[in-house]
Amino acid sequence: MAKGGTRGAALVAGKAEESRMYRFAAGLDQPQMPPGKKLSDADLATLRAWIDAGAELTGAPVATGSLAAAEERPITEIERKYWAFQKPVRPAAPAGNAIDHFLALKWKAKGLTPAPRASKQVLVRRAYLDLVGLPPTPDEVAAFVNDSRPDAWARLVDELLASPHYGERWARHWLDVVRYADSGGFEYDRDRNNAYRYRDYVVKALNSDKPFDRFLKEQLAGDELYPKDPEAWIATGFLRLGPENNVKNEQTRLDELDDLVVTASNGLLGITVGCARCHDHKFDAIAQKDYYRMQAVFFPLKPMERPLVDPAAEAKFKAETKAVEDLQKPLKDELKILEKPFRDKIIARRKASLPDYLRMALATPEAQRTEGQKLNVIQFEKSVENIYEDDLVRELTPGVVKARTQLVARIVEIDKTKPEMPTAMTITEPGRVAPPSHFLHRGGVGAKGTVMSPGVLSATVREDWPFPEAPADAKTSHRRAAFAEWMASPENPLVPRVWVNRMWQFHFGEGIVRTPSNFGKMGDRPTHPELLDWLATELMANNWSVKHLHRLMMNSSAYQMTSDDTDENRKIDPENKLLWRMPRRRLEGEAIRDSILALAGTLDKTVGGPAVLPYIDPALFQASSKRTWYGKAVDDPSTNRRSLYVFSKRSIPLPLLEVFDKPDTITSCARRNRSTIAPQALILMNNEFVQLQAKAFADRLTREASTMESRVERGYELAFGRSPSEREVKRAVEFISAGPTGLTDFCHALFNVNEFVYVP
Amino acid sequence: MSHKRLWSRRELLMAAGGGIPGLALANMLAPNQPHFPAKAKAVISIFCYGGVSHMDTFDPKPMLKQRAGETIPGKKVVPSQGNPGGLMPALWEFKKYGQSGMDVSSLFPHVAQKVDEIAFIRSMHCTSNDHGPALFQMNTGFIQAGYPSMGSWLTYGLGTENQNLPGFVVFTDPRGGPIGGAPNWGNGFMPAAYQGTPFRPTGNPIVDLRPPKDMTDARQRRWLDFVGKMNQDHIERNPFDTELSARIESYELAYRMQTSATEAVDVDIESAATKKLYGIDEQRTEYFGRQALMARRLVERGVRFVQLYSGGGNFGDSWDAHWDLKENHDQHCGETDKPIAGLMTDLKSRGLLDSTLIIWHGEFGRLPISQRMSGRDHNPYGFTVWMAGGGIKGGTCVGATDEFGLEAVEDRKSVNDLHATMLHLLGFDHTRLTYPHNGRNMRLTDVEGEVIRKIVA
Repeated sequence: MAKGGTRGAALVAGKAEESRMYRFAAGLDQPQMPPGKKLSDADLATLRAWIDAGAELTGAPVATGSLAAAEERPITEIERKYWAFQKPVRPAAPAGNAIDHFLALKWKAKGLTPAPRASKQVLVRRAYLDLVGLPPTPDEVAAFVNDSRPDAWARLVDELLASPHYGERWARHWLDVVRYADSGGFEYDRDRNNAYRYRDYVVKALNSDKPFDRFLKEQLAGDELYPKDPEAWIATGFLRLGPENNVKNEQTRLDELDDLVVTASNGLLGITVGCARCHDHKFDAIAQKDYYRMQAVFFPLKPMERPLVDPAAEAKFKAETKAVEDLQKPLKDELKILEKPFRDKIIARRKASLPDYLRMALATPEAQRTEGQKLNVIQFEKSVENIYEDDLVRELTPGVVKARTQLVARIVEIDKTKPEMPTAMTITEPGRVAPPSHFLHRGGVGAKGTVMSPGVLSATVREDWPFPEAPADAKTSHRRAAFAEWMASPENPLVPRVWVNRMWQFHFGEGIVRTPSNFGKMGDRPTHPELLDWLATELMANNWSVKHLHRLMMNSSAYQMTSDDTDENRKIDPENKLLWRMPRRRLEGEAIRDSILALAGTLDKTVGGPAVLPYIDPALFQASSKRTWYGKAVDDPSTNRRSLYVFSKRSIPLPLLEVFDKPDTITSCARRNRSTIAPQALILMNNEFVQLQAKAFADRLTREASTMESRVERGYELAFGRSPSEREVKRAVEFISAGPTGLTDFCHALFNVNEFVYVP
Repeated sequence: MSHKRLWSRRELLMAAGGGIPGLALANMLAPNQPHFPAKAKAVISIFCYGGVSHMDTFDPKPMLKQRAGETIPGKKVVPSQGNPGGLMPALWEFKKYGQSGMDVSSLFPHVAQKVDEIAFIRSMHCTSNDHGPALFQMNTGFIQAGYPSMGSWLTYGLGTENQNLPGFVVFTDPRGGPIGGAPNWGNGFMPAAYQGTPFRPTGNPIVDLRPPKDMTDARQRRWLDFVGKMNQDHIERNPFDTELSARIESYELAYRMQTSATEAVDVDIESAATKKLYGIDEQRTEYFGRQALMARRLVERGVRFVQLYSGGGNFGDSWDAHWDLKENHDQHCGETDKPIAGLMTDLKSRGLLDSTLIIWHGEFGRLPISQRMSGRDHNPYGFTVWMAGGGIKGGTCVGATDEFGLEAVEDRKSVNDLHATMLHLLGFDHTRLTYPHNGRNMRLTDVEGEVIRKIVA
């Protein structure tokens, strides 16, 4: 067999895909073998595994019928001992806030001197940018600087955590992890006009300090665990956030499930279960079966647009919609009559210019046409009367164009009276019994193994995590409920560590584990393992309060250090891995845009609601029938909302955000890239929106201060939270006085300098 | 010398998972040595968006004429939409050209004169018969949006030779961009420095490249100096922060780019003879001729990857000839044939063809059966792509489709193979050009791909 016949080897040991035997059996090549009887998926998988394993005829590693055994990959004791799979144990530490204690241990060991405490001006700016994403106003700076109470700092942190804008700032971080967008991606990139309800849910959850375990449970299984809570339903939008292929088949369905498994594992567990789709994980103790058991958790999912009104209101909505359509009917009929002669003209012209093969087919009497000619004629007749709007409009006489435009406008006008029903993007399942899903050998659609029951990461549990049968009256399988219970259980070693590490990263620039979505062997080891565990246990011991962790981190001395370098420390730890100073961080594109609006005094601080579409130069998205951007005018104040509310269209990112490394929203973003490139400078230099805001900022300074010197001072205070030096005032006044646009140019410069775009 | 230093840059990026805050544009895009010496230094991708009919251009199928109006025995052809029609003959005549005697239809009379410099791959296939995923696959190797595109991989691997211009430039068709939009030239999980910069064919090439009208150069220079002084004060307090100095540097680069990018695409200063060569003097070929000439000017100035889209926006404006193949392909071939041949002639006369790889492709081909009035539907099972210039063995042909042009049957080549070959021609082993993301070392060719040796000179 290995030698083969005239057409090549029937068997290529180790390569099923290249073996004719497998290709015939799998239907990849013709003829189908064995003739007239297709192998079952399970048998095919066995055959494939056997060839891939070397096609040994004696002592074959995979015997037919022992498929289940081939899918097993036991976890060894040594593998279970991997640090990230061990439950975090609270290390010995002094009472109270132990962050500084753990950092100091490393400083001492390495001979590092921690940076001194930053000035109050720096601290207040840092706190505002970090917690609410906006620079403090001069009054807010003064209030803190003049607050001489010993707990002034702790009070400021509390005050900012109570601000509704805190949730907006930190929701952005979470939305990066869950790859949130307002459209579906792929070819059509359809708008998801109700996705924002999930975004608002996240903002509210953070503002109300919803316990993090509950936050996760609602997103994974809110419908099953908290069916009476409409917010929990909205939370399940998490399961719908991924891109959606417009092509629907078994493969694309598996890809969508893969996206979900990968996002849940990388984003929440910080472990790359996705690597085990086609084989056992090459580095970590993750069996391929773990992947398919996790896939089984999500396998029953179906999308559902859930009305957020009662059934009576829903019926009323339907009736009202019908009434509007009835009103439109006569107008639509009139339109048809008006267009008919022009349509007929186009059709006649089309019939007069046909290629020979088609002319012949049409000329042949129907009974005598060949099979293919019949098909060609069907194709032709179905389509010859189908005319694109553009082609039709080109054909119309000017008078008819006018009449038609008026008719269309009336139809559109009436359309606007259609009622809107509020819905949320949620999920459901076909019933309480989940449809079967399979282990897929090598990840292949056609290589089905045994039927999978749901499960969790086996290296983290001694015995299978219980997935109880769904209650008798359940409409879903309750697999997600059990999975969510494991995710949010104190038994889960990964979830609390991964979340506190993300929080640490957002506060301190880098995580304690610097690969925040990969705690596996290929990721980084924690720089401070005990600190990581201490924080994780603090989170759980304090009812999973996120705000408690914010307070711990920000009230540490470490957070209040300056960001200044020292030569001595640099020699020992140039990358600041041991956090001997605060790192400077460039603001994200969102925070830069928000800060510009705040300085200009044009920021609309409304919290929540549907997304807005600011102006984008049409040259950048080039409208097509399927994909466009209905942006408002560049100076439309309704679009001056925080960037969190800018419609996140997967194929048309807002350029100002895009150039500053906005995540792609296709996969979970662990950590934003931070590149420094010329197009960032070009956009902040030349973009019309930025110019307009500079003008508004100049008008504001003119209104709020009377002399040039005082305008410069006010500008510095608004932009940097500090007063300018005498030299700086002099230099600025000189610059401003050189021409009529001086003040605008000065304001524009403030948007561009490093001091403005870096968190101090 | 530089070999070592620059290698460590790529390794540094890999080690840090991409985001090195201190790496400025100049560092990220510094010229870099490939794995092994190679002729090609730059790529021009000519993307016929919508899908070109291979049976009507470069892959003659006499059987289609003989069996017109019949069906393929024992074969169920699956169209992307609706029901299949019967077999439809090529609507144009083929002739043999050049020393190699290559077949080209009357749609490409000018390109036909170049066949001895071209390598045809007549056995391409891809996985999706839907534009979006097929476009993404052709550009990034993956059917899903969000992966780095060919141009990103090349600029990541090679950097660029002109720091005053983007390393990767894209011209979309003036009638509209391709389905899927920006992810087609996206950097995916790589830093933004590697993303394609869309250039507009008229007016300012880059959005926000030029300052507003009332901003004179003197005023802007003064403004930049003021910003520079403020930044200087700031950096004195943080002298070691390379990220801060990189950002200062990026403003000077942006300032220079305002002039250099404008100059790079100024085709009006080219001679009348050159413009004629590209067909800029004729209405039909003007737009693509301009873009092709701009591509040459950019490559000449050290840009690494230029992608030109022919066709865009709605169906009729792209190569997506579902309705009327004759009208559609007459138009699109007519617009591009002369400019493409002109580009090859011009590159050659300037000694640039050897170092510039031209790839002519769509996202898939078209079916041998008719659709609607007299159109053809998408065909991912078999189609033709050709390459010329940098390191290509001209006058060659690889693989074949079946007798109807439906499926690639001989020496089948995947998009991964095409990408592996492109990287090879630029000096890279596609299995070693990797970028770490979410725990994996990612490749343009994922886990597949073999270099098509037969067409490598």
